[in-house]
Amino acid sequence: MNEKIAVLMGGRSLEREVSLRSGERVFGALNELGYRALALDVTPDLVETLRRERPDAVYIALHGKFGEDGTVQEALEFLGIPYTGPGVVASSLAWDKSLSKRLLAEAGIPTPAWVTFTKDAFKEMGAATALDLVPAAVGGLPVVVKPTKQGSALGLTKVETAEGLADALLTALSFGDAALVEKWVDGVEIAVSVLDGPDGPEVLPPVEMVAKSGLFDFSAMYTAGETEYYCPARLDAPVQTEVMALAARCHTLLGCRDVSRCDMVVDGQGRPFVLEVNTNPGMTEVSLLPMAAAAAGVSFPELVDRLVRSAHGRRK
Amino acid sequence: MGTARVIFDRWDGMYAAAMSEVRSSAVRDLFAAASRPGVISLSGGMPDVRRVPHDAVQRAVREAMAHDGPSALQYGSSSGRVQLRSTIVGLMGESGVRLSEDDIIVTAGAQQGLDLLAKVFLDPGDVVICEGPTYVGALQAFSAYRPRIECVDMDEHGMRMDLLEGLLRRLGPRGAKFIYTIPNFQNPGGVTLSGERRRRLLELAQEYDIPVVEDDPYGRLRYEGGHILPLKALDPDVIYLGTFSKIFAPGLRLGWMAAPRPILAKVLPVKQAADLCGSSFAQSVAEHYMTGTTWRRVLADLTRTYHERRDAMLGALEEHFPADVAWTHPEGGFFVWVTLPGYVDTRPLLAEAVEHGVTFVPGTDFYPDGRGANSLRLAFCYEEPVQIAEGVRRIAEVLEDTLQLYRAFAAAGAIGDTRRAPEAATALTGGER
Repeated sequence: MNEKIAVLMGGRSLEREVSLRSGERVFGALNELGYRALALDVTPDLVETLRRERPDAVYIALHGKFGEDGTVQEALEFLGIPYTGPGVVASSLAWDKSLSKRLLAEAGIPTPAWVTFTKDAFKEMGAATALDLVPAAVGGLPVVVKPTKQGSALGLTKVETAEGLADALLTALSFGDAALVEKWVDGVEIAVSVLDGPDGPEVLPPVEMVAKSGLFDFSAMYTAGETEYYCPARLDAPVQTEVMALAARCHTLLGCRDVSRCDMVVDGQGRPFVLEVNTNPGMTEVSLLPMAAAAAGVSFPELVDRLVRSAHGRRK
Repeated sequence: MGTARVIFDRWDGMYAAAMSEVRSSAVRDLFAAASRPGVISLSGGMPDVRRVPHDAVQRAVREAMAHDGPSALQYGSSSGRVQLRSTIVGLMGESGVRLSEDDIIVTAGAQQGLDLLAKVFLDPGDVVICEGPTYVGALQAFSAYRPRIECVDMDEHGMRMDLLEGLLRRLGPRGAKFIYTIPNFQNPGGVTLSGERRRRLLELAQEYDIPVVEDDPYGRLRYEGGHILPLKALDPDVIYLGTFSKIFAPGLRLGWMAAPRPILAKVLPVKQAADLCGSSFAQSVAEHYMTGTTWRRVLADLTRTYHERRDAMLGALEEHFPADVAWTHPEGGFFVWVTLPGYVDTRPLLAEAVEHGVTFVPGTDFYPDGRGANSLRLAFCYEEPVQIAEGVRRIAEVLEDTLQLYRAFAAAGAIGDTRRAPEAATALTGGER
């Protein structure tokens, strides 16, 4: 085994820093595994570099725009280089929360009620005059407002009162061209990761996140001590079975491959709701996928190895 | 399947309560996103050390070793090397402050001076008076000791004395532990405390028996107007913080504190506890660098350079920024403070700016209490004039787009035009418009 694996990281997304942390760790694991690893920051000469280096596969450790939205996947398809994680379509579907929630809802997968607004709807159509209708449309306050296309909870606000809605939308719209307002579901936040295996999708133990601040936002995600994690999540056995089945359904429905991470909330009655599906889960030292893998007895290098082998297997 | 709590930091729960203030912030990480090539930084207040000639520094290092070899490598006096203190006496004399070596201790940058003063003066809950907005590093240094920080608004002539007086009257004699001010080309405001207000500030401080801390990192970087005497020149009781960071280089971590002897007597043991003594080596290098005239030529060149960059920034602001935006006109230093309509929040705006390849610092960073949301700080010290102009143009583009969106919300009555006005009472809207 001496394949050359390029790890794509950094780039110009707002999650650059998180991506560099993920990438560095993956790079270390690849070296440890005996691959010839190549760490590449995504800059305007990326395509040229890939053509020159001709890696056997690419590990995409990018988060956010261009890395998770299908852009880099499309470029790699064109270059004929196999890559880790879901393809173009699944990536772009999952990246757009508004679109993926619609698909989930149509397939009967529970997801909190929501409405979507684009920047243009406000600028060109006076949508701001209809904000009074929003709370009722999603079943009442509180709500969560977030950009439709952004990771790491950037631009996310929990809104308790109708007056806070405009502010939260303006914030979310600074992080993207559209924002969604989603009914807040009080309950246990969990993340359920799915790894493709030889016998189909294998669902890893759910991880439970308890943010000390009550909101699992950016700083709760990346500040040590701000969030407590439990793995497996402290769920009743039937609920646990149900959320794992849901994650597998989401994985298949969106057409994911190799890996996906489904973020959910389980309400007081044990009913799960899917918030979003991530096609390029974080791989930092405090990230949820590696945590779940460890609980399933899969070490970090093993996890990386599995993803890379799967990508490499698609080599034409 | 059993449940296990996942432990990342097994010392969690052991840390001091004050540490709970330290959080990873999305804004900080946005700056990391800005570390990619091609991003124009109008955020950092970094002196342009690229213009400090290496041979001059090399010569100073050689001389340090040739003349001071053993002592430069040894522990030294906690007050700092006497030779450097006499260099400082000379520098202060040029600014109009008469001191002797015994009135000065050398610190690790003026920043250490802030920490030492906070440690010496502050108990939890004590009041500190600052300008609003003020230097982030001061807020950080002070907040470790958990004071209550009161901000006094500024206008184009610096801290408003009417507001200060009102505050002092409320607090009463000795009602605050000290008044912290950056009188010259204030960071982040870019404004300068007028001569008249300096005298008034000292009168008030005397009347209410409260020490004044004068932080003066930029005093020698004046691009227009005449020198205004430091507070320390008007009143020997003022605690003065100086630094070599802007006249030489921040990498040496050298600054100084000039204060009344009883205060120095309290600060010195605390300084000893913190680091025994400052770097003898760095002090010796600075001594030799500051001997002769080269450093004056370098400083003159730096001042000329910053002057050009300031002009580039003010010109670009005039050309590109929308009409309902105001900014200050700094006569020196590194920074311009920009005030947007009251309903704008510049924190999310930074995300868009980073996407457009430019950074600034959101105004809230410079207040202890979340105020300043409709303002931002621009630094002109580091980028070339062409880049500065392009950076300002990019921010203007983002701003235009955002203001359109905000106006749509305001037109629909979804946000009030003056919604943030009471909190965003910063009067820093002076300057050229």
